[in-house]
Amino acid sequence: MTEAKQKVVIVPCSGIGKTYGSVSRQAGYVVVEDLRPEDTQLAALSLLVMGDEASRAMLAGNPAITIDGCKLACATKMVRESGGVVAQDFAVLDVYRRYKQFKPQGIAELNEGGEQLARALAEEIVGIVDHITSGSGGRR
Amino acid sequence: MPDFLEFIVDKFTFQVATDRVYTTAGVWARPEGALVRIGMSDFLQQRSGDVAFAEVKPAGTRLDYDDEVAVIETIKVDISLGSPVSGTIMEVNPALETTPEAINQDPYVGGWLALLEATDWEVDRARLQDPQAYFEKIKEQAEEETR
Repeated sequence: MTEAKQKVVIVPCSGIGKTYGSVSRQAGYVVVEDLRPEDTQLAALSLLVMGDEASRAMLAGNPAITIDGCKLACATKMVRESGGVVAQDFAVLDVYRRYKQFKPQGIAELNEGGEQLARALAEEIVGIVDHITSGSGGRR
Repeated sequence: MPDFLEFIVDKFTFQVATDRVYTTAGVWARPEGALVRIGMSDFLQQRSGDVAFAEVKPAGTRLDYDDEVAVIETIKVDISLGSPVSGTIMEVNPALETTPEAINQDPYVGGWLALLEATDWEVDRARLQDPQAYFEKIKEQAEEETR
């Protein structure tokens, strides 16, 4: 019997109505749907807040990467409160400081800068995903 | 550390340092010998949000009162700050290059913006609000916004 492959859980900010929250979610989609669909899965922060059993179970057996839209760091805090292991936490603002040319604007629909920032963030996340799935692990 | 006037509105605590004076927009100025140090008030930085970038005019720039001295980009807005003094920028806070969040974390000490040689501090001082007047103004504004 083969063991189920471990998938890294990506948990973005749920800041609806905030540009940086939208960047975090877009980056999550890019990772899970485009760049590493075989190695990652998305968890909804709102479900974790509600105590959703399936979401908590997802975290129980897999490392998580959190993407926070602001310094409140709700995603990181909620994953830890749910018993998950945060392998790496990203803050959109810190990433933006590294990519000043990608100025994010928009909420429901990000501008081009926001999309590019989300892509850049997604690529940084993929670096961590690959590190974890190669067996090198991450930090709590 | 300066002393503060302080008030709480909702979940926010706002501080006004008592050892300096303020523009109505929330830029502070504190004389230090022949120079004047300037920065953003706690109220202004909290209302503006987390700072992503702070671009202060370079040393050597001559400014009149209320000329743009810095542009602050936060997660919410881009704001242009008018200088509270006329004069020449002598030094820009070097920490803002790598840690602009110092404006949020320590607006009255580590998060200062620039040090200027004032052309006529007494003239500019007369245009600025003392801490108590600024405190009353922002307290009223904050309370109004929460109604």
